[in-house]
Amino acid sequence: MATILAVIEHRQGVIRDITFELLTLGRKLAEKNNAQLIGVLLGHDTQSLAESLRTHVHRLLVADHEVFSDFNGETYQQSLATIVKKESPFLTLVGNTAFGIDFAPSLATQLGFPFTTDCIGVEMVDGRIRVTRQLYDGKMDAHVQLAESTSYVLTVRSGICPAEQGGLSAEVEKIESPVVSQPDHKRFIEYIEAVVGDVDITKADVVVGVGRGIKEQANLPLVEDFAKAIGGVVACSRPIVDANWLPKDRQVGSSGKTVKPKLYIAIGISGAFQHIAGMKNSDTIIAINKDSNAPIFNEADYGIVDDLFKVLPALKNKILEIKK
Amino acid sequence: MNFDLTNDQKMLQEEVRKFAQTELAPLAPEIDKSGEFPWPNIKKMAQMGLLGVIVPEQYGGSGFDFVSLAIAVEEISRACASTGVIVAVNNSLTAYPILQFGSEDQKKRYLPPLCNGEKVGAFGLTEPNAGSDVAAMESTARLEGDCYVLNGTKRFITNAGEAGTFVVFAYTNKELKHKGISAFIVERDTPGFSLGKHEDLMGIRATANCELIFEDVKIPKENLLGKEGDGFKICMNTLDVSRIDIGAQAVGIAQAALDEAIKYSKERKAFGKPICNFGMIQSMIAEMASEIQAARLLVHYAGFCKDKGMQRFSKESAMSKYYASNIAVDVARKAVQIHGGYGYSRDYAVERLYRDAKILELYEGTSEVQKIVIARELTR
Amino acid sequence: MDLIVCIKRVPQTAEAEVKIDASGKDIVRDRLTFDMNEADSYALEAAILLKEKFGGTITAISLGTADAEDTLRIALAKGADNAIRIKAEEFAQLDGFKTAALLKEVIKDITFDAIFTGCMATDDSYYQVGPVLAELLGVGHATLVSKVEVADGKAQVNRELEGGLIEHLEMSLPAVFAVQTGINEPRYASLIAIRRAAGKEIRVVGREEISIELKSNSTLEGLFLPPVGKRAEILSGSTDEISTKAATIIKEKGLI
Ligand SMILES: Cc1cc2nc3c(=O)[nH]c(=O)nc-3n(C[C@H](O)[C@H](O)[C@H](O)COP(=O)(O)OP(=O)(O)OC[C@H]3O[C@@H](n4cnc5c(N)ncnc54)[C@H](O)[C@@H]3O)c2cc1C
Ligand SMILES: Cc1cc2nc3c(=O)[nH]c(=O)nc-3n(C[C@H](O)[C@H](O)[C@H](O)COP(=O)(O)OP(=O)(O)OC[C@H]3O[C@@H](n4cnc5c(N)ncnc54)[C@H](O)[C@@H]3O)c2cc1C
Ligand SMILES: Cc1cc2nc3c(=O)[nH]c(=O)nc-3n(C[C@H](O)[C@H](O)[C@H](O)COP(=O)(O)OP(=O)(O)OC[C@H]3O[C@@H](n4cnc5c(N)ncnc54)[C@H](O)[C@@H]3O)c2cc1C
Repeated sequence: MATILAVIEHRQGVIRDITFELLTLGRKLAEKNNAQLIGVLLGHDTQSLAESLRTHVHRLLVADHEVFSDFNGETYQQSLATIVKKESPFLTLVGNTAFGIDFAPSLATQLGFPFTTDCIGVEMVDGRIRVTRQLYDGKMDAHVQLAESTSYVLTVRSGICPAEQGGLSAEVEKIESPVVSQPDHKRFIEYIEAVVGDVDITKADVVVGVGRGIKEQANLPLVEDFAKAIGGVVACSRPIVDANWLPKDRQVGSSGKTVKPKLYIAIGISGAFQHIAGMKNSDTIIAINKDSNAPIFNEADYGIVDDLFKVLPALKNKILEIKK
Repeated sequence: MNFDLTNDQKMLQEEVRKFAQTELAPLAPEIDKSGEFPWPNIKKMAQMGLLGVIVPEQYGGSGFDFVSLAIAVEEISRACASTGVIVAVNNSLTAYPILQFGSEDQKKRYLPPLCNGEKVGAFGLTEPNAGSDVAAMESTARLEGDCYVLNGTKRFITNAGEAGTFVVFAYTNKELKHKGISAFIVERDTPGFSLGKHEDLMGIRATANCELIFEDVKIPKENLLGKEGDGFKICMNTLDVSRIDIGAQAVGIAQAALDEAIKYSKERKAFGKPICNFGMIQSMIAEMASEIQAARLLVHYAGFCKDKGMQRFSKESAMSKYYASNIAVDVARKAVQIHGGYGYSRDYAVERLYRDAKILELYEGTSEVQKIVIARELTR
Repeated sequence: MDLIVCIKRVPQTAEAEVKIDASGKDIVRDRLTFDMNEADSYALEAAILLKEKFGGTITAISLGTADAEDTLRIALAKGADNAIRIKAEEFAQLDGFKTAALLKEVIKDITFDAIFTGCMATDDSYYQVGPVLAELLGVGHATLVSKVEVADGKAQVNRELEGGLIEHLEMSLPAVFAVQTGINEPRYASLIAIRRAAGKEIRVVGREEISIELKSNSTLEGLFLPPVGKRAEILSGSTDEISTKAATIIKEKGLI
């Protein structure tokens, strides 16, 4: 029977959300194409992790070895190369995450399989893979057809296939670890935790997110005043941190924090998916952006298409009025 | 015939544009309000070599030609008119006369600090009672031993409040009329030299425009620029060069106004559609764009005349300054018009650009004076 | 250290209007401005910082059309010593894989201690050129790199993971580093450096010099505008009216 293989992503003893999304996508594709979904878990002391995965896959391959105590893209790549060769799935799914990006493209290259990255849609048409990808700062989508092959590798963006219950009951199949030591040329040393600052944006009810539309550091007080008026904390998109205008712990998004406030106000933020990833679960989202085509308006509940430098002072005054 | 920029000019344009848009443009509205001289950006420009674009490398400059200076000044002015003037005055009104007329010692001493941002330059010609009529100036310098003793007042001097090196004009012999004017290099910390009124200007508000007051200021003889009596020639020759940069400032300001106008006309809706669909708005945009391009070509041509070593290019330079400043004011006015009432509000850049543009028709010779220069050349 | 930096010239689309062209497979480019891909400017700066510390040379390589030479010249002005353009116009269907394969064909004849690429180009968003190039060259790699420090022939490398967590690795050279944005402060080219770089020769490599037949992984079938999902309710009116509406919504949610 044809198989689809999905690589389980976990870190520091926790299975990452992307995994269940990937497995949901994998099950759907398997169902449509009369195939089986195989989960591959590379880890150490994996018992409880494995247990939580059993209902999501038809088969669960587990290589339990010390070498997988921490993540190393190279040990993953070499192990998966062996496993994929042995199982010959027609599709290998990996998350388009810091984890997946570090080994999936090179794995596919090593195996000589067509692949593509950061898919937001995947279909099988006549035995070939056709994916949807996003280009040009998220302003365009594209259909991409992969070259003809017996096997493919894809990385899939998080958040595009919400996780569902599995309803399956796979037995754990222990396999030999194909790799037993880290390679000399790439060794994991340690994880370094992000520095904790004075404000915890993940705990606030109202988060005011500011992006590159603010133009310069000197304009930040405008946002700070506004946040103060509304009783919220100031967070930001990545470029603001890149420019050192705010500390890293204020960054919302895939490489920053995930926030779920009651209200998120996005100010001068275009809505790149990496940013969306960090705030999409907010109860209410209001976006202020002068570009009516900015992707943020596809995520927000309410949109204000206008110059933030005009809107912010006006909105601040209204809020102060109401508060009185 | 070739309109292409050279490789180095193209690169300079691309890099200066990026620098100006990222580092200068964001500050433009703020320094317009505060009037604060943008020292941090001046230091950054020094690092890039923008303060001595036309100064040879041996004196700490970048060694580019005058067309390149015009390109740089256009891009800087497009982002921030105040900064554009500061750079232009440093390059063509201060460094240039020292480079052109100074002794080797003067060049070695005064040019490197002007290029590396240690000191900013200023040009002291205008007086309370002498503007267009340069020869009406009242400042005097009389030789006493090893020094000239300078007395007088200069008005409206750009950069003055923050400058370290001044090129100053004064009579050494009043009888000889304009042939009795001499030029001096004056350092800021010379005793007797003080600053007067700080001008509260309509536009280019961050240019530290100030009055200079000289009371028995002793200037060492070595600081005479050229020979005694060369002042008028130095002044006119310098203005021929610097007017190209006023043209470049004009093109930059006008381009910024057009950019804003186009953007706004696509966003603003009236009568159910974006206003860029109205014929009268399109007409304005077409006029603005054509005039800017014509002005830019005049400016580049004047620079080209200087670069190829033409002895007399007063006419070309005056034409570029006259035409470009004229259309810049008009383009900025139309940009305000296209913005409707919002263009009259301080929240929109065109309001500032309109104020910034107006100075172009006034300084370094008013439009009337440019016409006099042009006509005189044609009827000579 | 001999270093290579891979640079892409990309359209600046973050604040621009992006339209599909007549072929349906590309965007209308004539009104867009182009510049060095954002992450690549950090990659270049990272290489320059290493060169300043250890000496050596930097070769900047771009697969692109003739105007990519403008971007390469800027790289020369900022600190690269050599530049190579691979003529994109002579190759079809350039996906991330084929791009990496072409880069490899040129780089295989150059000795290097490290290659720097951006982690992602803002136009095609592939995230793959760096790691694929490494695989094809048979050297190690790290993606999403936020720091590279070299001492005693080893590189201490930080990768930036989700949530701001850092993965610290020790790697041997040569290796490929696909760097993140924001990891340093890219410099501007000085005018003197521009003047010097303007005259420098850029090596141009075309179809004829690439000996092997390259296949691409994928074919772009067509572009389309992202479907408008939930689409926000746009508040309309004057700034004042909009503010009143927004404030009312915020109040109704019980947030003030
Ligand atoms: C691996 C990786 C991880 C990443 N992680 C993150 C992350 O965790 N978080 C994150 O945010 N990004 C992240 N990014 C970056 C992301 O791709 C985008 O580049 C970034 O989110 C864009 O930030 P922005 O919206 O502030 O800026 P831009 O995309 O430049 O948008 C600015 C917006 O402001 C608007 N604007 C401008 N002026 C005004 C005005 N006067 N009034 C109103 N609106 C105005 C513009 O229309 C535009 O839409 C990551 C990228 C990569 C490659
Ligand atoms: C912001 C600013 C910055 C400046 N920076 C400097 C600087 O750095 N250094 C410096 O030396 N000066 C500087 N100036 C002075 C400037 O160059 C003079 O203001 C200008 O030359 C005009 O002189 P004026 O103001 O005395 O006008 P006037 O000469 O009094 O002219 C008044 C009006 O009469 C017209 N007019 C005069 N003569 C004639 C004529 N013969 N025919 C027809 N019309 C005529 C003029 O065109 C003008 O319209 C600056 C001025 C300003 C406002
Ligand atoms: C200081 C000040 C005081 C004011 N006081 C008052 C007041 O007391 N009472 C009051 O009611 N209003 C007042 N206004 C508003 C003023 O009347 C409007 O700004 C003005 O009518 C223009 O409208 P607008 O700004 O919306 O421009 P828009 O309608 O946006 O027009 C923008 C541009 O498009 C052009 N345009 C628009 N439609 C067309 C068309 N169909 N064909 C060709 N061109 C077109 C306009 O001429 C303009 O150049 C004031 C404004 C200001 C700045």
